[in-house]
Amino acid sequence: MMKRGKKFMMLAAAAAMTLAAAGCGSESKDGNGAASSAASSATGAASASAGSGEKVEILLGYYSDEKSDSKMKELIGQFTAAHPNISVKTQSAPYGQFYQKLDTQIAAGTAPDVWLSDGVYVMKYAERGAVRDLTDWIAKDLKADDYYGLAYNKDAEGRYWGVPQGIQVGVLFYNKDLFDKAGAAYPTDDWTWDDLKNAAAKLTVDAKGKTEGESGFDKNNVNQFGLTFFSITEGWFSVLKSYGGGVLDETGTKSIIDSEPNKKAFEWMVDGMNRGIITDPVDLKSFQSNTAVFPSGSAAMRIGLYARVLAANEAGLNYDVALLPKGPDGKRSAPVIANSWVVNAKSGDAKAQAAWEWVKYWATQDDVQKQWAELGEAIPVKKSIAESDVFLKGEQKPANRQAFLDSLIFAQTLDVNAVWEEWVGKFNENAQRAFLGDQSIDEALKSANADVQKVLNDFYKK
Amino acid sequence: MEQTIERTGRAQEGGRPVPKRRGSSESRWGLIMVSPYLIHFVLFVAGPLGASLYFSFSDYDMLNPPRWSGLDNFARMGGDPLFWKALKNTLYFTVLFVPLQTLLALVLAVALNQKLRGLKWFRMAHFIPVISSWTVILYVADAIFNPRFGAANALLTRLGLDSQRWLQDEKLAIPLLVLIAVWKGIGYIMVIYLAGLQSVPGDLYEAAEMDGAGSYRKFRSITLPMISPTTFLVVVMSTITTFQAFEQIYVLTGRGDMSQAGGPNDSTMVLMLDLYREGFTFLRMGYASAIAWVLFMILFALTMLQLRVQKKWVHYD
Repeated sequence: MMKRGKKFMMLAAAAAMTLAAAGCGSESKDGNGAASSAASSATGAASASAGSGEKVEILLGYYSDEKSDSKMKELIGQFTAAHPNISVKTQSAPYGQFYQKLDTQIAAGTAPDVWLSDGVYVMKYAERGAVRDLTDWIAKDLKADDYYGLAYNKDAEGRYWGVPQGIQVGVLFYNKDLFDKAGAAYPTDDWTWDDLKNAAAKLTVDAKGKTEGESGFDKNNVNQFGLTFFSITEGWFSVLKSYGGGVLDETGTKSIIDSEPNKKAFEWMVDGMNRGIITDPVDLKSFQSNTAVFPSGSAAMRIGLYARVLAANEAGLNYDVALLPKGPDGKRSAPVIANSWVVNAKSGDAKAQAAWEWVKYWATQDDVQKQWAELGEAIPVKKSIAESDVFLKGEQKPANRQAFLDSLIFAQTLDVNAVWEEWVGKFNENAQRAFLGDQSIDEALKSANADVQKVLNDFYKK
Repeated sequence: MEQTIERTGRAQEGGRPVPKRRGSSESRWGLIMVSPYLIHFVLFVAGPLGASLYFSFSDYDMLNPPRWSGLDNFARMGGDPLFWKALKNTLYFTVLFVPLQTLLALVLAVALNQKLRGLKWFRMAHFIPVISSWTVILYVADAIFNPRFGAANALLTRLGLDSQRWLQDEKLAIPLLVLIAVWKGIGYIMVIYLAGLQSVPGDLYEAAEMDGAGSYRKFRSITLPMISPTTFLVVVMSTITTFQAFEQIYVLTGRGDMSQAGGPNDSTMVLMLDLYREGFTFLRMGYASAIAWVLFMILFALTMLQLRVQKKWVHYD
């Protein structure tokens, strides 16, 4: 028994500690043999052709799937061909694994010199001193007006911590077939959230084919929702913001959740969920994943980032997009995330400089921007490319791609800070209780405010 | 072998102690022979253990070197409602799970300890969930307890009852997780019990029968005491594994959105899940280490307690 106890302790302790760190760290280096060999062969060709100057090798990390991985390697090959003094080793993995590995690598001092960070994680690393301040380099090498979203990685003190690799902005996706079937008019750019709800009510169909207002409509047994809606980015954030509310103040250290506009926004959401028009958290749990509802045709509308076109196209949906609705006072907001290149704070100057060459290459080269845009995962960061036919006249749906660019005018980042994930979790918990009617809106906002503030205090008071 | 050599050595020296030099060469070889294990132990067991102990007394976010912070992490635990909720949930889970699984597994083992045709198949059927991964179990559980498409709600609706949120219900979530865990784990415990039952000598029963004992009496006075060491093993083992429960809760409650694991409203947040999130999601590795050590202390104390109490009810012959 004692042995059992000890064995467990080892498990618990070791799992949580450096053992995991050591394991992941070493695995990562050979964990993607294909990745490194492809890149190094490209490098080999480049170094053979030239060979001037001091040679610098950098480790470049990114998360990817199969398609984006091979495209990324192609681009890296082109980069090293153009920069014979820089050789690039790559490290790539699917999203979740990439970050698990990254954290332990940073701990072990073996993290990539430059890596692709989810936009919502840039500040997590920046405020903990893990990434390099890029303010000077950006000022020197990039023309701010040429790009979308440089300011998204700017902190309250005006320092820049990353350069966008691709932009994701939220718009309203709608399923044209379902609208046609219900005889409802397509969304327009003048819609308010109330207009959306009125249309959504007509598009909500229960198991017996009845809609709201018809006798026998069962709001607890809905087969097709008017709107699907979840969590912060593709859920409550833009509703709160366009109602004039929000979560954090501009310093990112103070919660402003308990407010009248937020209450109004919550009333709109809770009412929609009560009536079965909007998916509530329990409805969402019946699906494979939160994101599966719209592509499967189980909802007529969704708030979706640009990348959601991939799943919608794959499902063969007949859909289009429009601007997100306005709030009661005409205010607009769209969630935006700029997945960004960040440079390791621990990398020496030579490596950091070489890493910056890659970032600069990515942002400034039209050809790189075009090739990446063709992959269809993100809106190009360079305005000239985003506004060209490469992006706007894609072969695939949606037709109204201009809506994404128009949304960037009023887009807002998700109050991102060092403890973003943690406060979002706290907010969600309270919001869900309100959504399910387990708690009144007033109580939910009060306790969300207290919980979120506690998270902020814990980190920022140090 | 070694002992024989040593003995002969001693005999030659006329019973005097073995000369030191020779012994040290032997022990050197001994050390070399066990060195693969020792190296492994130092690098992967003792090292991490020591490191985690150090982390538990420091402020460590993984991205920066740990800074000594004394008892801060342990003090933080006192004022962290989530830690207490997680501890409470873990205990609740254990208190429901261990007796239920032990009892049902015993009943099952007794039932399947008969000499009947096709018995192997029944035993095997109960063992299948044991070897299935939690991800597979998740799909089975979902087919039953999905709030919209699951069989359980379909049945309730047919009976004219209100449908339930199941895992999305703060009160039902843990009991339901316990049921699923019992279903998955019971086959394993059953096999241990079967071994225990089969080692009870048949003549004891024969003697009891001669004294006119009925089957209840035989079970109560012979079987139960005879298999009490098995019961003890099972209880200690399941208590420890229940405290470690992580994967099942992570997978079942985080379905479709892993950030919601431990929900709804932290009603299924157990210590291992809390520890994992603190360390790897919120980057408070020092605090997570402290939780791990407290978890160890709790388990250590529990096991010591069980050792004490066993004297009262466990019979070894």
